[in-house]
Amino acid sequence: MIDFSHITKSYPNGDVVLNDVNFSVSPGEFVVITGKSGAGKTTLGRLLIRDLLPTKGKIVIDGEDLNLIKSKNIPMIRRKVGFVFQDYKIIPDKTIGENITIALEIGGYNRKKIQEKITELLKMVGIPGKEHLFPGQLSGGEVQRAAIARAIACEPAILFADEPTGNLDKDTSIEIFNLLKKINDDGTTVILATHDVTLISLNPDRNIHLEKGKIISDVDGLPAGKEGKPPVKSEQKIGHTKTASSSRAKLRDHTPHKEI
Amino acid sequence: MNTALKNIRRAPFQALSAVFIISLTLFVVGIFSLVTLASHIILLNFETKPQIIAYLKDDHTTDQVAGLISNMTSTQGVKNAIYISKTDALEIYKKSVGNDPVLLGTVTDWGIVTADILPASVEITASDPSAFNTIVSILGKSDIVSATPQGKKEIDFPQDVISELTKWTNAIRGAGLILIIALTVVCILTVMIIISMKISGRRTEISTLKLLGAQNFYIIKPYITESLIYGLLGAFFGWTLSYIALLYSTPFLAPRLGGVISFPIPYWINLFLLVGLLAFGLILSLISSLFAAARFVKRSR
Repeated sequence: MIDFSHITKSYPNGDVVLNDVNFSVSPGEFVVITGKSGAGKTTLGRLLIRDLLPTKGKIVIDGEDLNLIKSKNIPMIRRKVGFVFQDYKIIPDKTIGENITIALEIGGYNRKKIQEKITELLKMVGIPGKEHLFPGQLSGGEVQRAAIARAIACEPAILFADEPTGNLDKDTSIEIFNLLKKINDDGTTVILATHDVTLISLNPDRNIHLEKGKIISDVDGLPAGKEGKPPVKSEQKIGHTKTASSSRAKLRDHTPHKEI
Repeated sequence: MNTALKNIRRAPFQALSAVFIISLTLFVVGIFSLVTLASHIILLNFETKPQIIAYLKDDHTTDQVAGLISNMTSTQGVKNAIYISKTDALEIYKKSVGNDPVLLGTVTDWGIVTADILPASVEITASDPSAFNTIVSILGKSDIVSATPQGKKEIDFPQDVISELTKWTNAIRGAGLILIIALTVVCILTVMIIISMKISGRRTEISTLKLLGAQNFYIIKPYITESLIYGLLGAFFGWTLSYIALLYSTPFLAPRLGGVISFPIPYWINLFLLVGLLAFGLILSLISSLFAAARFVKRSR
């Protein structure tokens, strides 16, 4: 579904944010990308929605090479990837309902069913009945939930959450994490970029660790001692991504369903 | 539409200046359209009336007149030529003076106006005003056309009036056109700057929309709608102003142009003007917003 192949991203000032990054994500996976601030997590997300172009390498989503797609088709790619921004990017002078409406309109959702969909989405993310409130009237956690609702409004195949818990307390962060897991259980591929160690310890699935723009580790499952599940080392870290992804997909298939 | 109206409410003075400049432009367009129409009717009126009248000597014969008429009608640029006898001339005179006893001579000591004192004439309508000189030259050579004691042939033709009128109307049209072009350019620039400012002011929101996968048209649609609202309002106010100006000037114009243009101006002309101004306003605002949007599209990813 997603294939990052030898991705290097450097800026005109010479900063290399990503350096020969390789990984693949299969449909339905839950991937946590970790790393310190500046490790390149956000850049990965921006490359994924073609907000940036890689300096070197190739990104393929559903068989489409992002380097080759025409400008007019970029919106289509962005509709495939729901994006939860670190700073929410919820339009402040529109209500939560209006913010979600925009995403639904962009996605070409049936106008008559928008209200119904908003109610359903807000219920799903745990803030039912708040569609008439403005972002300023909600707590940080609620705004983040609204941002997630907007990101998944058009049922994208992929959800990229960039530090969704960056500004939240521990309990709320866990709630947001659980919400993302729930979305993943419903079939959406979720990529969570975070530096929050609490979330890493909660993730039973795949973790990719970035440091200074390089993948340091790409492992399945929690570290030993956490929830009693041994980590499953990826067959490779960098390079043979397809095999690794297939193994992980198989592993997922044999993993019992986890209750959130 | 809601977003467009919200944008207008948020910056009422920008909206006001946009509507004002469009109103002003379209008011001028409206006035000049009416002036152009009036001058066209006036010119048409002159051109469709008998344009050249040659007064004949009293001793002319029917054959001579027939020869002159035949000569005239075969001349290029002549639409028709008719003979007005003394009796016809009296009828025309009576029609033109009505029942005025002074002008009919019924109360004067110089006697009643009779056909004898009026000259017969040949009235020629030209299809092309440029043929005037040829026609006058042919008439001047005719023996039956009367002449003044100084030997000048008695031929009336409004060449000077028409050329003077054409000159003035062309000058007015030219000045109007330049003014309209200048105002249109200012108008487009003003609306474009206002819309550009609005787009710039919401850059963060726009970048979010783009990241959510919005097409450019989805993003610029509210701004185009807003601009079209300015265009419609401006056109309506511009038309209202020109209509008021027309109503105010009617008492002044009616006695001067009453014979040529009927006052009040028929409603369909005003309706036509309104439709025309609305269309022009919409085109103007559409062009302005598309320019502004094109700049945004060019800059944004």
